Amino acid sequence: MSMTQAGLLGQRAIREALRTPEALLPTLFIPLFFLVVNVGQAGKIFPSGDTPFLKGQNYGAFQLPSSILLAASFGSAALYLVEDIEGGYFDKLRASPVSRTALVLGRLGAEAVKSVVITAALVLLALPFGITIASGPLGFLLLLVLTAGWATVFAGFMQLIALKSRSAAATNSGGLIFFPLLFLTPNFVPRNMLTRPMEIAATYNPVTYIMEGLRSLILDDFAWAAIGRGFAVVVVLGAVMVALNVATIRNYD
Amino acid sequence: MNLAVEANQLVKHYSGRSGLVEAVRGVDLHVAAGEVFGFLGPNGAGKSTTVRMLTTLMTITSGSAHVAGVDVAADPDGARRRIGVALQEAGLDPRQTGRELLVLQARLFGSSRPAAAERAAELLELVDLVEAADRRIKGYSGGMKRRLDLASALVHEPEVLFLDEPTTGLDPASRLTVWDELRRINDRGTTIFLTTQYLEEADQLCDRLAIIDDGLIVREGTPAELKAELRERRALDYEPTLDEVFLDVTGRTRERVAGDVQEVRA
Repeated sequence: MSMTQAGLLGQRAIREALRTPEALLPTLFIPLFFLVVNVGQAGKIFPSGDTPFLKGQNYGAFQLPSSILLAASFGSAALYLVEDIEGGYFDKLRASPVSRTALVLGRLGAEAVKSVVITAALVLLALPFGITIASGPLGFLLLLVLTAGWATVFAGFMQLIALKSRSAAATNSGGLIFFPLLFLTPNFVPRNMLTRPMEIAATYNPVTYIMEGLRSLILDDFAWAAIGRGFAVVVVLGAVMVALNVATIRNYD
Repeated sequence: MNLAVEANQLVKHYSGRSGLVEAVRGVDLHVAAGEVFGFLGPNGAGKSTTVRMLTTLMTITSGSAHVAGVDVAADPDGARRRIGVALQEAGLDPRQTGRELLVLQARLFGSSRPAAAERAAELLELVDLVEAADRRIKGYSGGMKRRLDLASALVHEPEVLFLDEPTTGLDPASRLTVWDELRRINDRGTTIFLTTQYLEEADQLCDRLAIIDDGLIVREGTPAELKAELRERRALDYEPTLDEVFLDVTGRTRERVAGDVQEVRA
C-alpha cells in the first residue's frame, strides 16, 4: 500500500514538473553553461594527450560529473513542497491515511526520475564534443542510477529545510549549500593534485566520492572501488534523509 | 448515545516567540452521530487548533479525543479513514485538474483506478463542477475551489466531516450553494463538525453549537436554547440573535470591538 501511494504521489509530482517546464529547463541549461565555461577556461591547461588523468579523453569528460551533479542538485521538489504547505494541500495529504514514508518517497522518487532524464540529456549533448562513457552502456546506466541517488539525497535535504522552515526563501537559501559542497571537491583536478587543505576538505566532503564514482564511469572501464564508494555514500545519506524526513512529518504540527 | 466526536480535557500548548502559548486549555466535546455541530469563537479562541487536533494534524498536549470511535492519538490512520477534512485554506493543488485531484485522493484512500474515476465523476456532479472538471484548478474561482475541496473531503464517504470556516471569503450565492451541499451531505448520514465566524451560518445549519473563547468552551446548546437562555437571563422582550449570544458569552461588545481598531495617521 505504502509503495502504491508513493507511486501515485510520484506521478503527481512528475505531472507537476511537466506542467512547469520553465522551472525544469534551467536545470539543464545552467549545468551546460558551467561545462562550457569551465572547459573553455581550463581546457588548454589540460590537453588530452599530455594529461594522464584524462585517460585519453578531453577535459570536458573530466568536468562532466560536476555539471551532472549540479543538475541533480536543484532540489525543486522542496519548493513544490513549500507551495503545498502554504496552499494547504500538504495538510490535506496529512489528513489522509497516506503513509508518511510514501509522502516522502513520492516526491523523492519523482526527483530521481527527473534526474535520470536530465542526466541522460546532458550526456547525450556531451557526446558530439568527443566525450564518451568509457564503461559502456552498463556504465552509463550506473551513472544514471548514481546521479539519481544523489538527486534523491539532496532533494531530501532540501525537503527537510522546507518542512522545518515552511518558507520558500529559507528553502532556496538552504540550497546554496551545494556550491561549497561542489567546490570543495576534486572539481578541476584529481584529489592528489589539490593543495593539502583542499585535499583534507575534499576527503571529508561526501560529494567527492560521488563525483569520483561518476568520473570513473566516464574515464575508466569500471573502477569498482570508486564506484562502490559513490554508491555507499548515496545509500547511507539517502537512508538518513528519508528517516529524518519521515520523522519530521510524523512530528509536524 | 452514539458519539461521532468525543473530546475530554483536550489541551494544546506550544512554544511561541513570547513564551508558552496555551491555545486550548481543556475542551470537552460530545457530538452525536448525524449532527451538524457548530464550533464558534472569536479569532484566536482555539477553534482551528481544536479541529487540527481532532483531525490528527496536530499533536495533543494532554487529554483525549475520539472520532467515529477511534482514538486519534493512538490510531491516527484509523481516524483518518473515517474523517473528511476541509480546512480554512482550500487544500488543493493548483497544477492538477479537478478530476485528477479527486481521482488521486480516492486512490490514496485505497480505491482502484476505475472505482476512483467513478467516484470522482459522482462528486464532480454533486458539487456542480462537471464542466470545469478537466481544467486546471488554478483557474477556478474561490467558490469552485471551496466546492472542490469539499468534494475531495468526501471521496471515501467519511463518517465525520470537519469543515474549518468553509464559506469564509465566498460571495453570498456561493455560500448558499455550500450550505445546500452541506445539508445534502448531512441528510446522507454524515456528521458535520463546522467552525465558522458567521453566526447566521451556524443558526441556519447547526443542530447544536459550542462557543469557545480563550481556549475554553464557554457555552453549548442548540441555537434556540442559547437564545432562550440569554433572553431569560437578561429579561429581554425580544428574541435575541445568535450574534448577541456570541457577544454576550465572549464578553465582547460592539464598543469594545470598535475600540480595538486603531486609527493610523501618516
